[in-house]
Amino acid sequence: MSKTITIGSANSTGPGVTKGTLKIAEAPDGSPVAIPVIIVQGAKEGPIVWLHGCVHGNEYCGTYIIHEFLRGLDHAKLAGTVVALPVLNLPAFQAKQRMSPYEIFHGGDLNRQFPGNPEGNQSQQMAHAIYEPLKRYADVLIDFHTALTPDVRWALFPKAQGEAGALSEKIARAFGYNSTLPAPTEILAGSAMMAAAKDGIASYIVECGGKNRSFTDDSVADAAERLRNVLRALAMLEGPVTDYAPFTYFSNFAWVTAGQAGLFERSVRCGDRIEKGSVIGRYYDAWGNSRGEAKAPESGVVLAIHSGPVMALGETLIHIGLDPRQA
Amino acid sequence: MKIIEVGNVKATKQGRHEGTLTVGAMPDGAPVELPLIILRGPRDGPVLWLHGCVHGNEYCTTFSIHEFLRSLEPAALRGSVVALPILNLTAFRMHRRSSPFEGFNNTDLNRCFPGNERGGFTERMAHAIYSPLKRYATHFVDSHTAYTSDTRWALYANNNPEVNRVGRAMAEAFGFENTLPTPPGTLVGSAMMSAGDDGIPSFLLEAGGLDDSFSRETVLDVAERLRNVARAIGLLEGEVTKYPPLTTFSNFYWATAPRSGLFKNKVRCGDTITKGQEIGTYYDLFGDARESALAPQSGIVLAINPGPIIPQGDVLVHIGLDPQCS
Repeated sequence: MSKTITIGSANSTGPGVTKGTLKIAEAPDGSPVAIPVIIVQGAKEGPIVWLHGCVHGNEYCGTYIIHEFLRGLDHAKLAGTVVALPVLNLPAFQAKQRMSPYEIFHGGDLNRQFPGNPEGNQSQQMAHAIYEPLKRYADVLIDFHTALTPDVRWALFPKAQGEAGALSEKIARAFGYNSTLPAPTEILAGSAMMAAAKDGIASYIVECGGKNRSFTDDSVADAAERLRNVLRALAMLEGPVTDYAPFTYFSNFAWVTAGQAGLFERSVRCGDRIEKGSVIGRYYDAWGNSRGEAKAPESGVVLAIHSGPVMALGETLIHIGLDPRQA
Repeated sequence: MKIIEVGNVKATKQGRHEGTLTVGAMPDGAPVELPLIILRGPRDGPVLWLHGCVHGNEYCTTFSIHEFLRSLEPAALRGSVVALPILNLTAFRMHRRSSPFEGFNNTDLNRCFPGNERGGFTERMAHAIYSPLKRYATHFVDSHTAYTSDTRWALYANNNPEVNRVGRAMAEAFGFENTLPTPPGTLVGSAMMSAGDDGIPSFLLEAGGLDDSFSRETVLDVAERLRNVARAIGLLEGEVTKYPPLTTFSNFYWATAPRSGLFKNKVRCGDTITKGQEIGTYYDLFGDARESALAPQSGIVLAINPGPIIPQGDVLVHIGLDPQCS
C-alpha cells in the first residue's frame, strides 16, 4: 500500500526512488539553499526511517555512508520507507566548516538548534525547515557525525522512557558499535536526536570517522552494512540480524579542553581504555622542544582525541566515555 | 669561527641557539616572530639552511625539521644548520596555506622570493627570510606537503651546472625515487629557484599531506634522509646510505578539476598513469556517479586530490612527465 510523502520538491506517492530538494535557507545573493532529499518507498508497508548527515558541514563521512547505503538499497525488497538528507548543513559543507559561514551572531551549531525556530537566526531557521517534515514523517531518526580522526567509532541513543527509548536501544544494538552511550536526556539539548526523542521518535547518533578527508572506504562500507542490519532488525529488509553483543555502555561523557597550546601529538587511539592521570599526548613548542604531557583528567574509554598537529588553548582535547560497563 | 647572525640569534660558538626572526607585523602591531634554531658545530663547514611551513597548513614539514634537529649533536657537526621550522606563521595559526593578512597581492609565499622590502605583507616576509638565507646558506632544503599522507617526491634546482650537480647529489642522498630536476622558468619566485639563481644548491622535498594527513613514520623517515643529506655534504660524519636510482621527470603537469562534486580518487601517489585513464569519480549530492575524472597526461602521480568534495578548478592531480630511470 503506498502513501504520499512530500519533502520540499520530492513527492513520493508509491514504491520507488524519488529525488528532490528542500529549501532550508537563502544565501546572501538571494539564491536558495536547497538540500538534497532522497525518498525510497518500499513495495510493502513498514516504518519510515529518516537518515541525515553533515549536520556539521565538514563531517563528510556521514554523506558518504548515506550514499553508500542508498546505492545498495533495492526498493522492491524494502518494507517501509527510507528518507535520506545526506547534506544537511549545505552552506558549511561548501565552506568546509563545521558551522554555516552565514551564522555570525549566534552559536551557529545546527545540532543545538532543533526543533528550530522559523523566525530565529539562520541555523534555527534551517533546523525548523528540516525538523518539520522529520517530525511529520519519521518513526526513526539516524543522524551521522564524525569526530576528529579516522579511528572514531562510537554511538549514542537517548535513554528515554517508553517505546521510543526501547526502539532507540534496539537500533543501537543492531548497528552494533561497541562503545555506546545511553545518553541522559538532559544532555545535548537542541540536538535532532534529543528533539526527536521528546516527540516520541526513536533516534540514534552514529559517530564514524574524522572530519574532512579523515575517513576510509572501509569504515564507510562497514557503516552502510550496519545500517542494513538496523533495517533487518526493523523487519524492513529480509535476512538474519547480526548480533554484535556484548556492548560497552557509559554513564555519560566528559569533554576536555586543552589547558596548553602548541604542537601536539596524541599517544592514544579511539577505543583505548585510559586511566585518570595517564599520558594521552605530548606538547612541543615552535622550536621543537618538548613542553610536557597531556594527561587524562578522567578514567574511561577514548571516544575522540585531537589529531594535532597544532593545538590552540581551549580546543577540544579529548572526549571520554565514563564508567564503561559491559551491556 | 665565522659569526652567524639571524634575527635575534648570534651563534658564535658550538651549541644549539634558539631565537626568532621578525618578518612582519600584525594589525594590532604585534611582530610576526618566526621560531629560529641554529646548530653550530665546533668547526666551520657547510651551512645547511632548512625551512618548513612556507605554506601554513603543511605541518608535516615542521614536525620533520624538529625531529631532525632533535637528533643532531652540535659537537658532531662540521658546520652549521640554520632552521626556520614555521615560515608562514600567520597562516600556520589559521590552518591555511596563505597568510590571512594578505588581501591584494600574491598570497603564495613560495612565489614571492627573493621578496621585496617595500612590497605586500607576503613579499616583505619573503625578503626578511631570503636576506639571511642568501648571506649564509651553502646548501638549502625546503620542505612541503601535498594533499595526502602518501605524497613522496622531490625537486632540485637545475638553474646552472654547479647548482645542478650539488642539488642532484642532495636529491640522491635524500633518496625519494621520484625527483624533478626543475628547469629554469618553472616555479619562478620559489625559494628553491631564487636560491638556485644565486648559486646556492637547493632541494625541495614533498612528504605527507595537508593538516594532520601525515604519520610519525614519515616524520622519522624524512629526518633520517635529512641526516643522509647532511652526511653527503660533509656536515655529519658517517657512511652515506645509497638509495635506489632516481626516476626523473622532464617537468610536471598541474591539472585542475573541470567540474565540481563529491570526489573519490582511484589512484595513489607514485602510481603510473596513462593519458585517458580513469583517476577518480565525481558524484552529485544524491550519491549518483556523474562522471569519471580522466588523466590529462601520462606519467607518475605526484599528488592527487582525495576529495571528499572538489570545487571546479581545484587542483585535481599533479603528474610527473616523461619518467626516466637514471
